Amino acid sequence: MVIDFSSFHDFPREVEKLLDDVARFHDAGYRHSAYPEINIAEDDQNYYVEIRIPGVDPKELDLTLTDKSLVIRGERPAAEGRYLRNERGSGSFQRILSLNVPVDRDKVRASGADGIMQVVLPKADSVRPRKITITAQDSKAIEV
Amino acid sequence: MNKNAATNDAAPRRVVPASDILEREEGFHILLDVPGVARDGISIEVEENELTVRGSYARDETGGARLVHREFGGVEYARSFTLTDMVDRENIAATLNHGVLDLFLPRAAAAKPRRIEVSG
Repeated sequence: MVIDFSSFHDFPREVEKLLDDVARFHDAGYRHSAYPEINIAEDDQNYYVEIRIPGVDPKELDLTLTDKSLVIRGERPAAEGRYLRNERGSGSFQRILSLNVPVDRDKVRASGADGIMQVVLPKADSVRPRKITITAQDSKAIEV
Repeated sequence: MNKNAATNDAAPRRVVPASDILEREEGFHILLDVPGVARDGISIEVEENELTVRGSYARDETGGARLVHREFGGVEYARSFTLTDMVDRENIAATLNHGVLDLFLPRAAAAKPRRIEVSG
């Protein structure tokens, strides 16, 4: 026999590994555009910013609100010991979100659990949509 | 966006979480990034010499707020590790801290350095 089948010995597992790799690279294409990843949602009252930041204590995350932006700053600590594999990465990061609407700075709240932070930015009164009630006056048809 | 893509977007994506493996004096640590997974949302199984971690993070997107920018969504994490004989499988411990799972794999007694006394 000339052909060596030995590399197929673990074939099912190899296939699974390949699929895992594909899943990982798929994920890699999805992120790494900016770090940390964020989601932004809004309703009439607030903006909601979600920050995915595993390994960082919410108390250590530095959120700074300036006139026109929200600055997210922090550091992912490196672990102690001899690294046999290192994929997670560590070090400091910063991301700036531009806010194009005035925010009520005093009422900004932030909370977090399990590596995901939530920041609620209440919209300033001046930009909240306001319903204008039309009080109907007795109208008169215009005679032409 | 077509309808198909929209449904794919809502389904949790399968992700292999990034991991670090560290060697320390008392044993090995595997660190995995699993943001969003709560303690009861994680399962760790050891079968023969394979350790498998699974976890899921489901996002509640039915709330009233309108999503205007999205970089992450619901995720299903899964990753396996092959254990060597150096690991004491009975005493593996796990802690979850700020979305990072820390698996501690103590060294097996046989793998620890042993001092042999000279007798006689």
